[in-house]
Amino acid sequence: MRQLLERYRDLILVALLLVLPLGVYLAHAKEPTELNAVDRVVLAITHPLEKVVAWTVTGALETWRGYVALRGAHTEAARLRRELGTVEREREALAQVHAENDRLRSLLGFAQSGPDLAVVGARVIGIQLDPKGALQLLTLDRGAVNGVAPTMPVVTADGVVGRVHSVFRGTSDVLLLVDRNSSVAVRIERSRARANVRGLSLPDVCRLDYVLRSEDVIEGDALVTSGTDGIFPRGLKVGRVTRVKRGSYGLYQTAEVIPAVNVTHLEEVLVITSRDRRDEAAPAARVP
Amino acid sequence: MRTLLRSVFALLLVALQGVLLHFVGGGAFSLALPLAVVVYLGLQDENVEGLLGAVVVGYLMDASSGGPRGLLVFLAVVVFLLARLAGATVHLGGRRGFALLTGALALVFGLVAFLFTRYVSPPEAVPGARLLVRILVEAILTGAASPAVMWAMERIDGIFEKDEPGLLR
Repeated sequence: MRQLLERYRDLILVALLLVLPLGVYLAHAKEPTELNAVDRVVLAITHPLEKVVAWTVTGALETWRGYVALRGAHTEAARLRRELGTVEREREALAQVHAENDRLRSLLGFAQSGPDLAVVGARVIGIQLDPKGALQLLTLDRGAVNGVAPTMPVVTADGVVGRVHSVFRGTSDVLLLVDRNSSVAVRIERSRARANVRGLSLPDVCRLDYVLRSEDVIEGDALVTSGTDGIFPRGLKVGRVTRVKRGSYGLYQTAEVIPAVNVTHLEEVLVITSRDRRDEAAPAARVP
Repeated sequence: MRTLLRSVFALLLVALQGVLLHFVGGGAFSLALPLAVVVYLGLQDENVEGLLGAVVVGYLMDASSGGPRGLLVFLAVVVFLLARLAGATVHLGGRRGFALLTGALALVFGLVAFLFTRYVSPPEAVPGARLLVRILVEAILTGAASPAVMWAMERIDGIFEKDEPGLLR
């Protein structure tokens, strides 16, 4: 027996190393995976390494931008001054619209209940948009010590980025909206129809699901979070509808969605650490 | 000791890859650099030591991927065996041959992972065929970057090479 084992040692080892991980994978593939102690050690080592490398690269880039690439700065400043003037005028126009909106709200008897969001700013230090079985993740330089916790929404001024997936002491991973495991409850801003946006694991496109055939949806429609999933506050931009597909049968129609946030250009994000949970729970009569 | 140093190098590659993809292209494409380590082990190492090295690298990729455990370990072992088979049957001269083999195996790695993920995913989350283009790009880029990994692995192995005393000593 021992001779046999020694003779076929390599073969047995190969068979074991093929069957064992595959068995573990197939056993756990259909359920969400919790990080075990060894995983946490591995990630606790790689995240600080990422932080150091990111810090070095950022430093080098900022030195380049701050000193070497200043040629043409004068022209750039003049152009920016002109743009600032335009933006200033737009801001004033918006302030007027806002004031008008406030007056109309008062007339209709609505309480001024804008969501009171507490946020933590974070810098993106790593990204993984793996086309295989892996999750589409961003690594942030903020973690548990900064008040970040799993499932917290992550946004930018442009809209939804994703939600916190795993949290470590000083860093955290964000599951992106474009991941195929991501799903966000949305409303079509124009028609107020409810739907669902699901990722496809592609960086620039998602899918709009569960829109009833009878609902009014057209290309170019803006999508905002509905707040019904209990994760994202209501009214955050999610994306824009393209290519509506309405089959000849079935309850629902689908569409492609261009996400509001281009994840390949992200530098800084906001993690919403607390929010006004009244959102959709408010009586229907209060919704305009 | 050599296995430990190689594992640390693979760990460093996993961290570097995340940062590199963020700063170069912002994640518009992806890489599988640690796979080049597995290919190197398949071509250069002993059976048992190489297999264990492949398992370690596969586990690191699994842990950093956030997905269900086991798939990338399994695939790393498969890639190790394929690299060994290729090394025994085809002459892979120098860095160009290594890059070609790594690219081809990265493609196999990506496609098999894709098929497994399709098999186990619920219908609404099945990855679409459009990911195949990204897998192809990943394989090409991984192959192109692999000579750098080979160079680093050769430096690591060089630390442990002992000079044989010759006749003139």
